[in-house]
Amino acid sequence: MKTKGRNFVLYGSILLISLVAPLVLPAYGTQLAFLWVMVVFALTWDIVGGQMGYNSFGNVVFFGIGMYVTAVIQRNMHYDIEEYVHVAGRVDTLASGEYLAGLFLGMGVGAVVAVVIAVILGFCILGMGMRGQYFGICTLGLGVAAGELANGWEYIGAGSGLVTPVFPEGLGVRGAFFYYIFFILAIILYMTLKWLYSGRFGLAVNAIRDDEDKAEAMGIHTTRYKIVAWCISAFFLSLVGGGAGHLIGFIDPTEVAFAGATFGVWMILMAILGGKGTLWGPVIGAVIFHITQELFWTYLFGWQRVALGALIVGIVVFFPQGIMGWVRERWPERFGHRVEEKGVFSVSEGGGA
Amino acid sequence: MSRKFKVVIALLVGLAAVGLVVAGPVGAKVEDDTIVFGAALSFTGKYSTNGKHTKNGYDLVVKRINETGGVKVGDKSYKIKIKYYDDESTPARAGQLADRLIKQDGIKFILGPYGSGPTKGMAPITEKYKIPMVEGNGASRSLFNKGYRYLFAVLSTSEQYLAEAIAVAAEQAKKAGKDPSSIKVAIAVENDPFSMDIRAGVLEDAERYGMKVIIDDKLPKELTDMTATLTKVKALKPDVLVVSGHSKGATLAIRQTAQMKVDVPILAITHCEAADVVGKFGANADYTLCATQWAPTMTYKDRWFVSSGEYAKTFEKEYGYVPPYQAAESSAAVLVWVDALERANSFDTEKLRDTLAATKLETFYGWVDFDDTGKNIAKPMVLRQIQKGKYVPVAPAKFAAGKVIYPRPKWSER
Repeated sequence: MKTKGRNFVLYGSILLISLVAPLVLPAYGTQLAFLWVMVVFALTWDIVGGQMGYNSFGNVVFFGIGMYVTAVIQRNMHYDIEEYVHVAGRVDTLASGEYLAGLFLGMGVGAVVAVVIAVILGFCILGMGMRGQYFGICTLGLGVAAGELANGWEYIGAGSGLVTPVFPEGLGVRGAFFYYIFFILAIILYMTLKWLYSGRFGLAVNAIRDDEDKAEAMGIHTTRYKIVAWCISAFFLSLVGGGAGHLIGFIDPTEVAFAGATFGVWMILMAILGGKGTLWGPVIGAVIFHITQELFWTYLFGWQRVALGALIVGIVVFFPQGIMGWVRERWPERFGHRVEEKGVFSVSEGGGA
Repeated sequence: MSRKFKVVIALLVGLAAVGLVVAGPVGAKVEDDTIVFGAALSFTGKYSTNGKHTKNGYDLVVKRINETGGVKVGDKSYKIKIKYYDDESTPARAGQLADRLIKQDGIKFILGPYGSGPTKGMAPITEKYKIPMVEGNGASRSLFNKGYRYLFAVLSTSEQYLAEAIAVAAEQAKKAGKDPSSIKVAIAVENDPFSMDIRAGVLEDAERYGMKVIIDDKLPKELTDMTATLTKVKALKPDVLVVSGHSKGATLAIRQTAQMKVDVPILAITHCEAADVVGKFGANADYTLCATQWAPTMTYKDRWFVSSGEYAKTFEKEYGYVPPYQAAESSAAVLVWVDALERANSFDTEKLRDTLAATKLETFYGWVDFDDTGKNIAKPMVLRQIQKGKYVPVAPAKFAAGKVIYPRPKWSER
């Protein structure tokens, strides 16, 4: 009871801090919004990469799909495509209602498209029994291929990219608007994962991670679970992609949408930094990574990438299990890994393990 | 259980607090006697060479203005300085940095980044916050059909870059008694916003003359090889080969046409000066047609640098190389800001926007006069041909200092 009460207070305070953050720090709205994008990145990557042990380098594909579908749907709803893509007179700014309709419809459709593609790809890659580094290389290829496809497809702007409409006046502060969208998305994602990990799904994907053959021998439909896990990842990544495209304002095929070298790598990095295979690990990893990155950008001008690289090396050397992994090793009793005097033995309560 | 969360929260809150307090050294648009401009440039990444040209162009004007009494607004004379960030050559970062310059650093006067991609990333943000941006390095015409009111570009837009090269080809065909429509054009451009617009411009021009486009290749952004295209060129023998891909594309085009001994009557490219193709390849770069926004040989005048030639000298003294047009157009962007601040006699961004829109200014770089969409319509592009290691302006007629050598001599005859 007592623990639950404390949890409530702590969850509550996180919620409260998160809710007021953009109001207290309006100048940082956009950066704070990106913080939640990073959290979603890390959490979605961890479903497949951490909990299931399938290192995917191509999750950014779904992010890009969400971004493009949302932007294209919004464009097609309100503009003449020829006019929007090619030279022409001025393009009128959208009214708030139109903007929102396009944005949310686009995000919804984008999520569905991403899931459909995840199912198809899942059957092709996971259904064929691709594992380990082969799966990793294969997904890496997916990311690159998606970027190149988008790069050559005139309808979505090809190499020239796609510009999203200017954020309308009526919707208030731009940073805060996207902040709350991403915040809500991250909360829903967190709750969904907490629920999934605490049930059969969590056990099944963990079993796949630990020994896939045994899991299959035990009667677990491994392929089905793998594809479902990938679809959940795709669903949320696509939603966040739809919003992020509008927050960034310009969708470049290889550097914004299917940006394997930045977003694609970061999502893995954040999950590992925080501790993959845990629920809180990716969240903490994302927060630390994002803040460090912003600080490096400000203070280590021109050397930010070098510093970031050094940081990654440091993390891998000193915290190979990530921060949560380190904490768990240091104080295992707090994760219910040791029988305490009271005799309480709980595995993975609160999604810890 | 709860202790774990305590650790988590302590970490989160602690880091967030530290981060946010430290992250934003709050500047202001105008500090005491200094006007602060903001710019996100490509210090690292694929545009880093041109990012440096851009920075040098900006810095030279800052130095000159501060040495010669600063900017007069009201009764006071202000010094100027620029706050820089590194956009790593990506539009995603450029947009975030625009946000940061405006919201956190409180900057109200934005200078453009290098390249159309990053400019496309920044423009929606400056537009949203109604903060004017004067840029000299985003030429993509799709920047100017979005109805942006706060974007001003001092350079000629990308479709004009190689229009003269196509015109030269048509002219030469007529001279030879052939119809311009008999000309065969080969295009190889990098798949990025800028070069794709170059391509669009060339396609339109070719269509106007009825020319046939026989090769239309898009090169990957990791530009390291174009032998596939050049093999086709050798087989199909077009009359004009157009290549565009920033400095990397220029280097690649000259290097590989020489290596593969590709004979084509006209080779027209962009970014010759920025890539220093003459310095790198010597005689192999000869006879190439180069599109340029500006050249030191031009005869424009202004009160800051006296003339185009003087600007080039000052620049070379400061940085040790002849200014490529990327530097010149960047300098011009700062001059346009200075002129607008003095004419507006105010720091009010709305007033400054209107003043900028009404700019009619001669700079060492050329005339600046913005149309409704914010692009400069008063300055033409110039086409230069490399002749014996020298850049000779050959078109348009007004600036021509020599005749175009046509066709390029065959490699076997050089």
